[in-house]
Amino acid sequence: MIEDLPGMGKTTLSYALAKALNLKYNRIQFTSDLLPADILGISIFDQKTNEFNFHPGPIFSQLVLADEINRTTPKTQSALLEAMEERQVTVEGETRGLPEPFFAIATQNPFSLAGTYPLPESQLDRFLMRLRLGYPDQRAERELLEMNTEMDRVEGIKQRLTTEDVNEFRRQSAEVIASDSLLDYVQRLINFTRGKNEFHFGLSPRGSLSIMRAAKTWALMCGRNHVVPEDVQTILPAVVEHRLRASTDEDGHTGASLVQRLLNEVDVIK
Amino acid sequence: MDINYQIPRSALIWVLVSVVIVLIPQTIRMPIWVTVIAAICILWRLLISQGKLNYPGRKIRIVVVLFTLIFSISQIRSIGIGLDSAVSLLALGFVFKLIEMRYKRDIYVVLSLCFVMSMVSFLYSQGIVTSAYIAMTVIIILCAMIACNRSSLILEAESTVKLAMKITFQALPLTIVLFMLFPRIAPLWAVPTQNNASGTGVSDEMSPGDISQLVRTSGLAFRVQFEEEVSLPNELLYWRGLVLDDYDGETWRRSRSRSAYGNAAAFGNFRFNWEGRMETNGIPLRYNVIMEPTQQPWIYGLHLAEPISSGIFLSRNFEMFNNGLISQRLSYDVASYIENQTDLFLTSSPRRNNIEIPAQGNERSLQFARELRAAVDTDREYALAVLNYFATNQYFYTLNPGLLGENRIDDFLFNTMEGFCEHYASAFAYLMRAVDIPARVVVGYQGAEYNPFENYMMVYQYNAHAWNEVWLEGEGWVRFDPTGAVSPTRIELGAEAALRDDPAFLDDFLFTAMRLGGMGWINTLRLRFDALEYEWNRRVVNYNEEVQFELLEELIGDVTESKAVLFLLIATALVMLGVGVAVIRVDRSAQRDPVVNLYVSIGKELEKIDLPRKRGEGPLHYRDRVIAERPELAEIMSELTELYVQLSYRSRTVDNLQRNQTRQLKAMLNQLRFKLSPLAKISGKV
Repeated sequence: MIEDLPGMGKTTLSYALAKALNLKYNRIQFTSDLLPADILGISIFDQKTNEFNFHPGPIFSQLVLADEINRTTPKTQSALLEAMEERQVTVEGETRGLPEPFFAIATQNPFSLAGTYPLPESQLDRFLMRLRLGYPDQRAERELLEMNTEMDRVEGIKQRLTTEDVNEFRRQSAEVIASDSLLDYVQRLINFTRGKNEFHFGLSPRGSLSIMRAAKTWALMCGRNHVVPEDVQTILPAVVEHRLRASTDEDGHTGASLVQRLLNEVDVIK
Repeated sequence: MDINYQIPRSALIWVLVSVVIVLIPQTIRMPIWVTVIAAICILWRLLISQGKLNYPGRKIRIVVVLFTLIFSISQIRSIGIGLDSAVSLLALGFVFKLIEMRYKRDIYVVLSLCFVMSMVSFLYSQGIVTSAYIAMTVIIILCAMIACNRSSLILEAESTVKLAMKITFQALPLTIVLFMLFPRIAPLWAVPTQNNASGTGVSDEMSPGDISQLVRTSGLAFRVQFEEEVSLPNELLYWRGLVLDDYDGETWRRSRSRSAYGNAAAFGNFRFNWEGRMETNGIPLRYNVIMEPTQQPWIYGLHLAEPISSGIFLSRNFEMFNNGLISQRLSYDVASYIENQTDLFLTSSPRRNNIEIPAQGNERSLQFARELRAAVDTDREYALAVLNYFATNQYFYTLNPGLLGENRIDDFLFNTMEGFCEHYASAFAYLMRAVDIPARVVVGYQGAEYNPFENYMMVYQYNAHAWNEVWLEGEGWVRFDPTGAVSPTRIELGAEAALRDDPAFLDDFLFTAMRLGGMGWINTLRLRFDALEYEWNRRVVNYNEEVQFELLEELIGDVTESKAVLFLLIATALVMLGVGVAVIRVDRSAQRDPVVNLYVSIGKELEKIDLPRKRGEGPLHYRDRVIAERPELAEIMSELTELYVQLSYRSRTVDNLQRNQTRQLKAMLNQLRFKLSPLAKISGKV
């Protein structure tokens, strides 16, 4: 999930990712009148063959960008989220698998605008990460300004990895070693969020699994075959922020300060 | 039945082991068949747990109760109401409870009884061996309690024992505080001491054969520690016990009736003005004696001893008496004026007492004495002449002298010519008295074994001895030892040396005999153990109300009740706090693996140069921060961190490589320390 102000390049980023990995890319603009069928697909009666033909919806692709996900109704949101969690779609009693690899990137605007349906915690939890792009730095902005249109640059992106490469990386990241000391640290982190008054609720097991997955992948990206605490610390804000809420929280954005507390107060080695 | 009430198998084994351990010390005192019954009950319970036998039915239980009843009545009839019969009864009830042990609550009853039974041993002995054994017993009973309450998944005995030891050690500081400070309340009832215990040690009568009997035993009589380090030769170590001045032709007695010994103060107008009867211009030799119980009131000291401890009285003959029979170890302080003499003037009444001999018998000795006296000028010369006579004629020093006839002195002097110290002392005193020289027999101990480990002396029963004191004009009472004339070895080297070849000496004590044979390390071991026991007696067993009061006075000034209680409470609270903190800290570092501990100490080292590790800081970030601040540490920090990351995060199993790396890490920590020491000093100065 990417969350930022409008116009910060959320869509561009996901499009660029799809290009670089050569993934089949679909973008769904979530609006308040979007229905689950618009995402999943629909069976249409074919008069020639006298049967229903399934027309797959935009979800059947390798990278789905769910734009402004909080503008649609919970019913539609959950249709997307089922697909994300189970990697399969059930339409009219028939279960269909989604292509591999499957990424869902959702964007949402941070402002609680009229006519939005903020995602409940249960659904936020399904996102591996919540990122913020933030303003580009001086150099990047300059480069941006020198371009004619932003899409020029995106179109020019060449494929860097094949699907096989991606699968191979995923396999390797599962093999990254997480030692007992590291698991102890992760457990201390998780326990810190549980059973405390300032935390509205603690991290779920899915959350802790996500930490491990992300940390292992980060370690692999840094060229290591083992996870060090720094890996966990690096990915922790992105992975955990949206899963945490302070008990005084009103709008779901107190996660950041809680993560800072986690990082500062949980001892790395004991 | 609820599973929670069932007895776990492992717990049962522990309970039975505790029962056996608790009963072992009692088996020597109980009738043998009580031990047999105990064994049967333990076996029965074991078979019940294996399903081979059933719990006893109502009939058996009634029989058992009746049996116990009859048993206790017969015990009381045969040995009276005493400790031994009570212990046997307790043991019987205790083992019968075993075969009734069905549920967990029964286990708790049995285990509580175990504690009671184990404490029974203290009624008999408070020595260091007993105490150590009871400590072990307590740990094992704790094991049983732990096993009872543990999940049946944890079966390893090792972890149970570890936990029990841990609990015991946690309780130790509080035990010490309570031991030192808790008020010592006199018991509401007195524990009857063993009524069959007979007095040991030197007796207040001496017939030929008495002392040679005593010399055959190897028991300890007392231990002595001198205040200043003095090396007294064996010839001076005459531990005076009693003065025997009444001779009836066979037995030497103390001329006062025994019935009064129970109350020493009433016994013999003790607080007489003895200072007038002696000059005390010498420097007194001060020492402390810890005496083993004798069931008799007299105690021992060197020549001309003046008691310092309260409750000890001096008699007319400068014997010392305790106020009451010595039924427990007794510690007392004494000062001896070994350079001085007593009774420069002898009044007529004691003079008369000390020259009395039976009117008839021993004609030959009388004749001999008169002739010898006529040949010399002074009493002293006469005494020396008698000694010389013993030395030059064929007299033997032996434990097994021949039997003596009607005229004992004659018979000994001119027929058998062999005897033990009592024969010589008896004959010598007779020969003195025969020519109207006041003389008396003194019984006590002579010689001592020096223990270099705690710097004290041990006096054993085989050091028992009898010698003489002769009153000489102008000199007072002078010690003469005719045994020394016959067997100089006895006096100079001690009974062990003199009697080594005598088959009757300590023949039933293999161990004792062995040390006389001179097995060096065994002797060292024995001396060390005795030193330990001596310390234990001095510091632990002798720690009584008086010593406690002194300690409190030293700690808090004048002792009032409320002050003492407050002090006890504060000390208790402090100790418990200390133990609590220690438990928390020890637990944490015990759980951490050595690598983490090493890394933590690295952080502590760097704290000295104000670069402590932050809580939430990973090793790599920490390294980078330290290097940024102190570029000179770049190399060592990188290596350290690399090793630590390898050890902590790179693999999940411990192998040899890792052990090597851990050692390396330790070495690097030392290197870092070395590097940091000058840096720390600089930053300290700044």
